[in-house]
Amino acid sequence: MALPLEGVRVLDFTWVVAGPVATRILADHGAEVVKIERKNPPPLGNRKLGLQCDLHRGKISAAINMSHPKGLELARRLAAKSDLVMDNFSARVMRTWGMDYESLRELKPDIICISMSGLGHTGPRSSYVSYGPTLQALTGYTLLMAERDGTPAGYGYSYADMCGGYTGALAALIALYHKRRTGEGQFIDLSQFEGVTAVVGPALLDIAVNGRTQSPPLWNSQEGPAAPHNVYRCAPDGADDDRWIAIAVHTEAEWQRLVKVIGSPPWANDAKFRTLYLRMRNREQLDAHVSRWTRERRAEEAMTALQAAGVSAGIVSNGVDMCARDPQLKERGFWAPLATRQGTTHVTGIPFKLSATPGAIRTLGPEVGQDNDYILGEILGLSKAERDEMIACEAVWP
Amino acid sequence: MSQNGALAGLKVLDLTDHRAELCSRLLADMGADVIKIEPPGGSSSRRIGPFLDDVPHHDRSLFNWFYNLNKRSIILDLSRPRGAEILLALARSADVVVESFAPGRLAALKLGWERLHGENPALVLCSLTPFGQTGPYRDFTADDTVLTALGGMLYVNGYPGHPPVRPLGLQAYHSAAYFGAIATMIAILGRDASGESQWIDLSMQAATAAAVEHVASSYFERAEAEPRRGTLHWSRYFRVAKCRDGYIMHCSLGDWTSLIEWVKSEGKADDLVAPEYDQVLYRYLMAEHLFDVLDEWVRAYRRDELIERAQLLRQPYATVRPPEALFDDEQLAARGFFVEVEHPELGRRFRYPGGPYLFNGTPWRVYRRPPLLGEHTGEVLRDSLGIETGELDALAAEGII
Repeated sequence: MALPLEGVRVLDFTWVVAGPVATRILADHGAEVVKIERKNPPPLGNRKLGLQCDLHRGKISAAINMSHPKGLELARRLAAKSDLVMDNFSARVMRTWGMDYESLRELKPDIICISMSGLGHTGPRSSYVSYGPTLQALTGYTLLMAERDGTPAGYGYSYADMCGGYTGALAALIALYHKRRTGEGQFIDLSQFEGVTAVVGPALLDIAVNGRTQSPPLWNSQEGPAAPHNVYRCAPDGADDDRWIAIAVHTEAEWQRLVKVIGSPPWANDAKFRTLYLRMRNREQLDAHVSRWTRERRAEEAMTALQAAGVSAGIVSNGVDMCARDPQLKERGFWAPLATRQGTTHVTGIPFKLSATPGAIRTLGPEVGQDNDYILGEILGLSKAERDEMIACEAVWP
Repeated sequence: MSQNGALAGLKVLDLTDHRAELCSRLLADMGADVIKIEPPGGSSSRRIGPFLDDVPHHDRSLFNWFYNLNKRSIILDLSRPRGAEILLALARSADVVVESFAPGRLAALKLGWERLHGENPALVLCSLTPFGQTGPYRDFTADDTVLTALGGMLYVNGYPGHPPVRPLGLQAYHSAAYFGAIATMIAILGRDASGESQWIDLSMQAATAAAVEHVASSYFERAEAEPRRGTLHWSRYFRVAKCRDGYIMHCSLGDWTSLIEWVKSEGKADDLVAPEYDQVLYRYLMAEHLFDVLDEWVRAYRRDELIERAQLLRQPYATVRPPEALFDDEQLAARGFFVEVEHPELGRRFRYPGGPYLFNGTPWRVYRRPPLLGEHTGEVLRDSLGIETGELDALAAEGII
């Protein structure tokens, strides 16, 4: 069976993280993602390894000079042969190029355009400059990812970019479905700020409906009462004393099982731990007891013992645990191999398995312009002489 | 503009519990007809707070409301043979079944992939489980916190030497839900193209791991585990600072000359005036010192004053705000992000967060408030299956619906 998005072409002007995350999801499932880029893009890193490879694998690249009229014309002709045009610029850029939805629908009435800007194309702050971390700050994630004394302690990365990417991919798929049913394209104005706000969760309703000010979640469960519910320090692994296990006990049955696994210590019968309510009220003492048990054990060993008894527990995986040791991710082949000149590297895989078309992570990230000949020759039908002429007049970079 | 949503006509049966209800809501918001199939007593989400006015009740859970807007609800006991038969009958005319039972449970109810596929070869089954249907952890249990641990999210948030910290919201579940909706749409598009349907086996652990931006690529590039760095972003271009009236986010990726001119004009630039800092790579290398100097500079500022000026200079600075501030945000208001949803049985209207995108042809919208428990049982069984009132009464008496 062909990959589900085979035959779908995406003209991709996105850069940094959120946009490329969206288009790579489409590429993994068969879409032809054609990156249009300038010759010397900002130095974000090697596309054959690491994050840039992760973001750009499976895509192809043309180096087209968008400030040259003939370059612009090439891009417009490519748009006319595409199903989707995606960017993450402010509204002005695509309009200046004549590549905005209103202009492109003249060329191709059923085109789908998705713009993934920071704060959206409309509204008083549409020209506000932002990145993932600043959007997280505006949303409340940064302030509420806090230590006990309220000091912000994260994020260490851009969750907003990942959310923006998933939202963009979902938007593309929904718009494609609609187009296949009705023949209609459309414009999607995706604000990454709204994308990450939409996943704050029920806390937003607690504010809007109950008028309650939100506190950092710390280790309170956000899905019903639970105790113990925390991360607990484990025995060092060699010189590494940064080993932790997360344990989450929601029900009475789980509590009984936990007590049994940790050897039914006398403190567990203490009146102050008798009910879930009491365990939550006395959680600091409870956590101290649980910590004494975990501190004596390797994190993996504690997890195995707890899970064998049906208690929710998982080691706090670091990069090495997750990418080199985790037997579950390994067995499911989550880290996808890609051949390089030096051997094999791995990239983030697809977190779901489709039974008939599991997706394909096919090629390393492209060098800028490496697919000029295919994109201009095969897709647009330019002869070798015409392509050389485009290069000679600097509408295309070799 | 279409009157109907982009997904009008797409029929979805939602068998999930509180961990995965967002998945089908993303489809419902765009016009899919999502029927939530709840066990007697209701979905687990109905027992999770916060509750309206802090009064626990299965129709007052804000947790349930958030994840079930735009769906209909029926009660159906799938553990009874007649209940399972009714589900199969509904599945015959559905496009998608979304479920989050433990691996093997659906098959034990005689509702597994083979059975569903046999009844309706065009049906997509999307299964969201903590670790997936295969592998050594297949039968492990996990809540969102445990998934953020095993998915690598916790380890990289917090200060070095301190315990990891946890995010606002159930972000492992949320990542899984987005991937579930993406996978479902991919499978539907594939089905429409080829006629072949498929089973989606989604691992919430893997979805969480995929959503940690930098950890895996850093390991595969340098064989290193990314550490915790407090609020210093891994790219080293962002860090939180304290102003007179609260926190802000610094960013050293904007136009450096205009930033440093400003800081210098206030006599606070220290050695950041050195020409080496013009290079973004040097700023990367010197991030801790650079932000220490800038922290001193912003200390006497009020946040709004600082951010307004920074944004005029195109510096990507931002206020570190509490989520309550979203409700007064002019940008969200101008774009109509928050929407009013009427709950007629309560005689009240509430503000809900809206959709993550503006589709100009087929907009995100509110079709109906979250359903009361079993609100649509009669309607759905009558209209979809032609079950008559007398039989409905008998099924209800037996506790099947």
